[in-house]
Amino acid sequence: MRGHYRTGILVLIALAVLTGIEYVIAVSFPSTALLFLVAIMKAALVLYYFMHVTSLWSEEGGH
Amino acid sequence: MSAVAAHADVEAHVAEADYQERTRRNRLGLWLFFVSELFMFGGLLVARFYLWRENGEIVRPELDQNLGLIITSILLLSSYFMNRAEVAIAHNDRTNFLVSLLITAALGTVFLVGVVVFEWGAHLRPWDGVFGAVLFGMTGMHALHVLSGIILILNVWWLGTKGHFSAEEHWGVEACAIYWHYVDLIWIFFYPALYLIGRAVPA
Repeated sequence: MRGHYRTGILVLIALAVLTGIEYVIAVSFPSTALLFLVAIMKAALVLYYFMHVTSLWSEEGGH
Repeated sequence: MSAVAAHADVEAHVAEADYQERTRRNRLGLWLFFVSELFMFGGLLVARFYLWRENGEIVRPELDQNLGLIITSILLLSSYFMNRAEVAIAHNDRTNFLVSLLITAALGTVFLVGVVVFEWGAHLRPWDGVFGAVLFGMTGMHALHVLSGIILILNVWWLGTKGHFSAEEHWGVEACAIYWHYVDLIWIFFYPALYLIGRAVPA
């Protein structure tokens, strides 16, 4: 169980770092494409780790 | 094994398979709902980039950057606690499950207050041209989803205190968690669109 909690913490840290990067990009060298790229990376993390998007096509029904 | 025990065993297997199949269908239904919602949120995002322009250049109203960063961080943190609640119930850790749900609801409420009280209470109003209309349209529709998410979380918490959900059967918790993460996902795109992208101009 601790491993599962650890994964959540690591994802949270990654999201926080990416949000910080987003902010730095916006204030130092604003680029719409870069900001969208970072947002897509954050979205991918949420979709994969938090929303379990892969469970949609997995054989096991889950809970 | 007696015939009665064997029959009970088969029935338990059938019930589990039935639950798994229902969960699979429920999950697909929930994701189809998200797809339908994407059209609305996507439309709002497109409206922002279409309307917030000056001479072809992307602009944005001057908003409180600190507030934007703080409420974004709070929503991300709430997503972590929602995930923690889901992991906890999957391992029958009921105390952690209930506490994490309450923390998630509390953080969601703080986010809501940040948007409704502080952002909406600032200088822009919904009738202040395209800046006001788009800002209130985007944050308003998102805030409505946050509010419904908080109600859903509190409902799950209430059921949890009554002994509902287990490691084997907790689709209700999973659905609530996925919905909350979806709300977070939308904000991941709304935050840079509202606060970061484009040249800041006086509203």
